[in-house]
Amino acid sequence: MEEPFVGPPLSWSGSSSIGAGPSRLDLNILFDLSPLPLLVISPSWRITNASSRLLSVWHVPSADACVGQELLPFVQNQLSASPVHLRYLTVAIDDAIATRTERTTKSISPHSAASWRVRVIPIFKDDELVAVVTEWLEGPLTELNLAEDQIVTPGLSIDEAFRMLVQAVKDYAIFLLDTNGRIATWNAGAELLKGYTRDEIIGKHFSIFYGKEDLAAKKPEMELEICMRDGRVEDEGWRYKKDGTRFWANVTITAVYKDGVHVGFGKVTRDLTERKSAESRLVAAYEESDKLKSDFLANMSHEIRTPMHGMLSACALLLETELTERQRDIVGIMDESGQVLLQVINDILDYSKLAAGGFSIHSDIVGITSIVTSVVRSVQTTLPPSVHFELFLAPNLPRSVQGDPLRFRQILQNIVGNAAKFTEGGSIRVRASVESEDMDSYTVMTEVTDTGIGIPERAAADLFQPFTQYDATTTKQYKGTGLGLSIAKSLAELMGGRIGYRPNPERHGSVFWFTAKFKKIKSLQQIQDWKSKLVAREGTILASPDHDVVSLQKQLATVASIKHFLLVEDNVINQKVMLGMLRSLGFKNVALASNGSEAVNMVRSKPAAYDVVLMDINMPVMDGNEASRAIRKAGIRVPIIAMTAYALKGDRERCLEQGMNDYIPKPVDKKLLIRTLGKWILKMPDYRRSFGDQLNKLRHYEALNPTFSPTPDAKEDAAAFWQGSVRNSSDDTVIIAEPPASAPPMTGNEADRETPSANTTADNTADNTPTAPLTHEASVEDSIAHPTDSSAEGISVVPDPVRSQPRSIDRKVQGAPQAIEIPSNNEFSTSNHGSQTSEATDSGQGTVSSESATSSTTPFDKSVDSDDAPVNTSPAAEKNLFMLLP
Amino acid sequence: MPDFGDHVDNGIFSQILEMDDSEADRDFSMPLVLNFFEQAEETFVKMDKALIQRNLEDLSGLGHFLKGSSATLGFNKIRDSCQIIQQYGHKQTIDGASEPNEDVCLKKITEALNKAKSDTSHLEGKMKQFFKW
Repeated sequence: MEEPFVGPPLSWSGSSSIGAGPSRLDLNILFDLSPLPLLVISPSWRITNASSRLLSVWHVPSADACVGQELLPFVQNQLSASPVHLRYLTVAIDDAIATRTERTTKSISPHSAASWRVRVIPIFKDDELVAVVTEWLEGPLTELNLAEDQIVTPGLSIDEAFRMLVQAVKDYAIFLLDTNGRIATWNAGAELLKGYTRDEIIGKHFSIFYGKEDLAAKKPEMELEICMRDGRVEDEGWRYKKDGTRFWANVTITAVYKDGVHVGFGKVTRDLTERKSAESRLVAAYEESDKLKSDFLANMSHEIRTPMHGMLSACALLLETELTERQRDIVGIMDESGQVLLQVINDILDYSKLAAGGFSIHSDIVGITSIVTSVVRSVQTTLPPSVHFELFLAPNLPRSVQGDPLRFRQILQNIVGNAAKFTEGGSIRVRASVESEDMDSYTVMTEVTDTGIGIPERAAADLFQPFTQYDATTTKQYKGTGLGLSIAKSLAELMGGRIGYRPNPERHGSVFWFTAKFKKIKSLQQIQDWKSKLVAREGTILASPDHDVVSLQKQLATVASIKHFLLVEDNVINQKVMLGMLRSLGFKNVALASNGSEAVNMVRSKPAAYDVVLMDINMPVMDGNEASRAIRKAGIRVPIIAMTAYALKGDRERCLEQGMNDYIPKPVDKKLLIRTLGKWILKMPDYRRSFGDQLNKLRHYEALNPTFSPTPDAKEDAAAFWQGSVRNSSDDTVIIAEPPASAPPMTGNEADRETPSANTTADNTADNTPTAPLTHEASVEDSIAHPTDSSAEGISVVPDPVRSQPRSIDRKVQGAPQAIEIPSNNEFSTSNHGSQTSEATDSGQGTVSSESATSSTTPFDKSVDSDDAPVNTSPAAEKNLFMLLP
Repeated sequence: MPDFGDHVDNGIFSQILEMDDSEADRDFSMPLVLNFFEQAEETFVKMDKALIQRNLEDLSGLGHFLKGSSATLGFNKIRDSCQIIQQYGHKQTIDGASEPNEDVCLKKITEALNKAKSDTSHLEGKMKQFFKW
């Protein structure tokens, strides 16, 4: 076969002037005299030219000895190359021709003294192959060559194997990009996946596969940048096909280097659409089942809780009746077991809520010191006399902060309850302090140290895991679900805090601590808003048992003639019944309004006329909510009691939100009406007193009554409280430790006058309240001398030795300033023995004068509530005072 | 006190009766109950009218109104029917789920109204016996 010979091509010279007449001779000379060993072959692989250098290196006598010969036999003869090595050459030539680019083979002929690599340069004129130039590069024999030699199976070069592999893979788009990100190669997988044919895509920039958002975010560029920096980059995201549809892709880009020079990027794209949809189906199924589980748990717990409460109430009522001792024992067991079961259910409910993420932290006012003392008090009553309680409240603890009081209490109750459960002798020490403080918040650290059974090291790691309970005995001596601490942990984290455990460093026992973050309260208005809510909510806490209704009714009857009501009710029948009911209680002065608008006008025209407004909610013209808002807007603080037939959970809260103070469901139960009126007419301070008085009263109230914390619902509070098990046969319905000193009854015009402290104490003793008030006496020497030896049931309120500041309390009583100096090392021991209180009051023992001893019993009585005494208590002094209070 | 069956919540109704100064006279409860039946009669007339006008809003209001007084007196059966009227007047089922189909609502209300009427006349008979009016 004759081929046109077009002279020696000099493609490597950079010139493309093939066949340019005047330079042909020059090029021949150049070719011939080139220092490179060169062979030119025709399209039929016959040798057409050989450079002088090649002839000399291969010891060929003259060009004629090789020109016209077939390439392969000639090479084989010259280099004694094996068929495998010849195959490298043929593959490279085939490749070079197919791709119209140069190729370089691997080393050929390792058996001779030198190895050769061949650079193959195909020369085309238009689509016609003119010649192939081969340049023979001599190199030393290397180990690598040998190794490669052994890997490759006969008949298949590595290059070829990889090329075939890449070409054949259909599940992955594998292609190369040049250094600028333009597509250089394309395989079958890429074509299938992306829909572009090879011809369409080569040379295009790879950003063509990206969506608008990714392009706007400069994702393609960023990926190459990261790839250059890290060597590779992997990404999952949407990629677009030629037809505009998209698929979820996993993309790996690898920087490709050749001889240390960056030549481009390898890109592998995988279609994850199937996997992703499977994953999302799986996730959806999991979430669904998890939600179902939590819903189920929550519902079940609720379903169980409702009859449980019924049963417990019945037990409580039963305990109130006349029973034989044996009957009382049995009912007591029923009651106690019911309480345990209720706690278990509450734990599970909390846990399922927490696990389902349905637990929210409320924002309310928190009196940290009062919560801590009340928890301590409630737990203290359950302790054997051999356990001594110590309470440290750092002086820098804020009085009031914003947060979730219920959850804070729940954590503390759990930890203190545990300490009490596992401690049979020694002491339990509760310490609360401010861990850190910034512009907007306090982080409060509470630490509970006990001398109980302690926790073995191996159990410590799992303490906060759900359903784990460390129990040293084989018989389950300690009751519980093992959920308490895991709930406490979740709650602490919800409140921006942490929880932890360490062994008691001093002696056998445990230290549990937790932190919680509280917002600072910024304005007085905020305090006022919170407090009026508090007063509104306080109602149910004071709910008294039935036998009190009779006495309440009697008390009401004595003041009924001077009390004025406004009844707002559109329905004549309901009006008549309410009028009848009020009349039967002795209330004759009842004005009527048949809609909200009338009511607002009546109250506005006589802002101080009514003692109580009874407000229907659903009425024509203006409803009760709107009317209440209008009355409040006019600055009138008359107690408004909502009456509505909506008997749904949350109704009460909704009414309170509208500015109403309390809520009675319809049809109105007479006993409940008596209790509610008793609270608003007998117990609550008169709203007609000035704002400042109100605030002082509230402060006083809070200070005196540690359990007076914002609780949305007495039941909930009771549930949260239960762990302390403050129940006692003489105090059944009020589970919460409620010192009667908290709200001394005030009647009618006497409302301004607080019951003197001594009387309050006497009342307590008479009531035989289980959670008798913590009164303060300055039994300084005693406690200091025998810190662990003080009254077994006593709580020591010990000034924090680290933070303690000298205290001075300035106050003006009846215009005469008096100062009480209390040495900083003082210790105030509190006791729940009512009798001791009167001793203290009588004798005024300790370092404090008798005048101030009385004051220290209930300091706020004097400072705040002396009728005609201007009160000026500095914030610092208040804090110190507060320290002394339960 | 006679047994009114499940028509009347005895606890609530006895509270009403207790407000009478004398059991012989019943000068508080009797006029009240009479008053109620008058009110119920008037309300039913208004409800019939609203039904014809397909005025769900009015029906809901009227239902709430009569529910209030029947609940106050402890007339449970009437109260429950009124609750149904109120709810469907709000285009809601008894459970509070949405019921956008007005025809369904009107049908439910018609049924409840008929029941309320028959319960009312039944109860009126019993009350007549009790109060001997």
